[in-house]
Amino acid sequence: MNRREFIYSVGMSGMSIPFLNAAPSAALAPGSKAKSVINIFLSGGLSQYDSFNVEVDKDVLGKSAILKSNVDGIRVSNYFPTLAKQMDKLLVINSMTTNQGAHPAGIYKMLTSYNPRSSVTHPELGAWINKALTREQDSLPNFVSIGKGRAGTAGFLSGQWAALPVRKPNAGIDFANRHKAVSAETLDQRLDILASLNKDFDKDHGTKDTQSYQDSYKGSLKFMNSKDIDAFELKKESEKIVKLYDGQEFSRSCLLAGRLVERGVRYVKVNLGGWDYHDALYDKFPQNASRLDKGLASLLEHLSQKGLLDSTLVVVSTEFGRKPLVNPNKGRDHHPDGFTCLMAGAGVKAGEIYGSTSKDGKKAENNILDVTDFNATIAWRLGIDPNLEEKSPTGRPFKLANRGKARKTLFS
Amino acid sequence: MKIPFIIFLLILSVTASAVADPRAHAREVDQIMATELKKLGQEARPQIDDYTFCRRLYLDAIGRIPTLDELDQFIADKRADKRARLIDNLLNSKGYNSHWYNYWADLLRVKYVGDKLQHPGNYAEWVKESVRTNKPYNKFAHELINANGKLYKPGNGATGFYAREPMALDHLANSVKTFLGMSIECAQCHDHPFDDWTQLDFYKLAAFTSKTYLRVDPLPADEKEKFAKDRKILKNKSFDEWIVYRESLRVKHASIYGNGTGYSRLPHDYEYNDGEPHEVMEADVLFGSMPVIHYKMPKDKVEKLNKKQFGPQINSRKSLANWMTSRENPMFTKATVNRLWYRIMGTELVGPIGGLDLESTGDHPALTEKLVEIMKVTDYDIKAFLTVLFNSQAYQSKALALKATPPAYVLDGPIVRRLPAEVIVDSILSLRTKDPDASVATKFRWDGFTHFYDKSRNMTVKNFVDYSIAGPGRAKFQRREEKEAKERNRDLGPKSLWRASAYTHNDGQYLASILMGQSTRDLIDSANTQPDIPQILYLMNGHLEGHVIRNPKAYLNQKIRHEKNRAKRMEMIWKAVLGRLPKPSERALFKHKQADIMWALLNSNEFKFVR
Repeated sequence: MNRREFIYSVGMSGMSIPFLNAAPSAALAPGSKAKSVINIFLSGGLSQYDSFNVEVDKDVLGKSAILKSNVDGIRVSNYFPTLAKQMDKLLVINSMTTNQGAHPAGIYKMLTSYNPRSSVTHPELGAWINKALTREQDSLPNFVSIGKGRAGTAGFLSGQWAALPVRKPNAGIDFANRHKAVSAETLDQRLDILASLNKDFDKDHGTKDTQSYQDSYKGSLKFMNSKDIDAFELKKESEKIVKLYDGQEFSRSCLLAGRLVERGVRYVKVNLGGWDYHDALYDKFPQNASRLDKGLASLLEHLSQKGLLDSTLVVVSTEFGRKPLVNPNKGRDHHPDGFTCLMAGAGVKAGEIYGSTSKDGKKAENNILDVTDFNATIAWRLGIDPNLEEKSPTGRPFKLANRGKARKTLFS
Repeated sequence: MKIPFIIFLLILSVTASAVADPRAHAREVDQIMATELKKLGQEARPQIDDYTFCRRLYLDAIGRIPTLDELDQFIADKRADKRARLIDNLLNSKGYNSHWYNYWADLLRVKYVGDKLQHPGNYAEWVKESVRTNKPYNKFAHELINANGKLYKPGNGATGFYAREPMALDHLANSVKTFLGMSIECAQCHDHPFDDWTQLDFYKLAAFTSKTYLRVDPLPADEKEKFAKDRKILKNKSFDEWIVYRESLRVKHASIYGNGTGYSRLPHDYEYNDGEPHEVMEADVLFGSMPVIHYKMPKDKVEKLNKKQFGPQINSRKSLANWMTSRENPMFTKATVNRLWYRIMGTELVGPIGGLDLESTGDHPALTEKLVEIMKVTDYDIKAFLTVLFNSQAYQSKALALKATPPAYVLDGPIVRRLPAEVIVDSILSLRTKDPDASVATKFRWDGFTHFYDKSRNMTVKNFVDYSIAGPGRAKFQRREEKEAKERNRDLGPKSLWRASAYTHNDGQYLASILMGQSTRDLIDSANTQPDIPQILYLMNGHLEGHVIRNPKAYLNQKIRHEKNRAKRMEMIWKAVLGRLPKPSERALFKHKQADIMWALLNSNEFKFVR
């Protein structure tokens, strides 16, 4: 019964935050080329025909114009001028499909590989990865969610595998610092009083739950004092790297994601919402596109400079695409059949386009990639078997990527 | 058939009206436990003092600690029956409505889902109203299972139970878990691996609710005749107007349709030998006696229909509700008693609340049997049942700290356990204000959509078109209606002093409640009481400092301000936070700064646990 959204937790005893049930250190499975994943999740549904799938009939593109990129044969829309110069780092997947056409269900499916049900909550991919890859010596959580939106549920897995949420990249983790009115000495004194109260209470009322609370306080203090917690503080980043980014919140989120993977965090989800343009798309889309254009371009540069792009799989995903027909309100409606996602790094076939839609934009045609296959591919690249199985509390087995299969041909 | 059933009910209600005082039932419970303890040679637990009782009862009955005034008042009361009086008072106070709403909302997954207007405004209000009026639990369950009609009609919020989960088979599995405490969802797709339920059983049960569905738009004929033309015009004219037109029509029309045909069909991939894919199944219950169903179409005729047809509606759903909530149903009362026992005592009387078997009787069958009998005799009156539990010696005895090696018998009283999330935050509230229950509603509260439904009753087709032109955009539509709805409601005072139950889907979420483990209401009974780092960071470094510890306006600080004597001030702090006087050994702590002591008490396990 005790599942927990948003939050990872400390287990019952033993305390090395937050990884009590972690397997001992083990080598990654052979074949794994990625150590970390950054998933830029565009909730609302990115319009593929106004971004990265421009190889369709001209009328499908609406008002979008086409830009050449720095790769022969790859073109993007005019809203992505910065990324146009970095398409050699990106694989464009134009043949994505899902079976969900409404936002909550679509987001759920993309992030968990399962259709939403009311009898069980499935873990997000990040939680599966967190559980599979966390080792005892890790000092940071392996699933961090940055930005507004769905933080990252552990579903039926133990709550400790859910995402650590960072709502605002500039603010870091909520309440991780002492209250401003409380000095270090004061906190120490308070903790002494607390210890004495708890010790006394334990004599007559101690249970494994009271113990678990005492452990969690220790764990939280350890976390507050951990040297790695400064990974969450953007002001600690070198000027050279900070300069790569502009000051927009999404760019700052990307900067934080880059810092976290540098410290070894396995899965970072960066949320960038707002793509649901049913009307006035060409008034509203450019601003959001610009955020993605700049933030992602800076992130790719950041990872390249740090030598992390070889070991970091960056993916840009969304729950579904938009219809080829621009509606009378100058917007585009939901379109689950044939949309676009991106990948970069970790040996992906960068500078290529994978799959396509029909020229009229109505459906994915070649090399169709279902969202479950997409997730299976990410897991496989991290060295995790996409068929990895976990049981829900009722004993029902679930596989990491549902029935998805890794598309190994996306990598060279 | 109907007449004898009514007579049967009459006999029962006569029996019920002759019910003994709940305290007499409490003595019966005590007696059963005493016998068992004697048999096992286990000593009875010591009784608790007034301080412990007062704190425990406030927590369990109304979901918060007593304020300093309330505690002092109870301690000062010299009447011999003051405990029984407090029980009655609290169960009839506003605090009860708040606390038990949170509980049922977790069970019933009262939540705004978004998209298709699966909006529980009215659902939440229906649950609150049921708690306020102490609706008998069997009636409560019956109304939920048998709900239909308009979603936004004031008072018809029970439809939220279906709207919340319109997938028929999932909904059925959830209903069985909710009201019968059994987990049959596996049988939805295959024979249950460890229980007796087969997929065939599941589909026979599903026949009762077949063709029950949520539809948010007007019915097709209505749509074609009245709305289709304007819809098309608006769609080509303006997205914002079109969407207001769509949403406003939905608010008016969204309904739970269908009440069961009494037939289902096996799934297309049915693979067992006892049936064929798409074969028509007649309704049948999992166990117990089958209610009579008056079919309008014989099975062989239904079989000849198209594979998607299940025959005419005959309100077989009502038969299901009758069966599920019947006194004779071997699971309904047992599951209910088990659930309430677990809520109050923390132990499993019969078994896990969502994982009972037909055979489950619990570790002490005689106790289970007695409590089941009391539930029936009190006519599923939750307050009466709680009165029995609270008046029992068991409830008023020392809480057991459950260790790895528990005593032979653990049902003789509550166990030490962490408080529910909302109880922790509402307890913090009790240190901040003199009247922590001020925000608890005493009557139906309007939300925007329900308000619009109310307005729309006299709206013509043209009015809807005009309305959509007048106010563009879905978000603005909702905001405008919420604003008007707000004016119809009593102001609940500053949000910072609300109890957790006052938050609706329009109010955002209360961060502290979520951090403490409030149910996300995605699944049945999904609240949790585990610690985690964000929760502890909040308690150590978060709002307690500004809300309570250093807040001169906090009621506790107001109270102690005038007390010059330091030791007396400390006593007040101990009573306010922990509900007891400081122990002699704790007096050594008095030397510390007041703020530091408050912080430590608020962060202590004792504050977060019921003892």
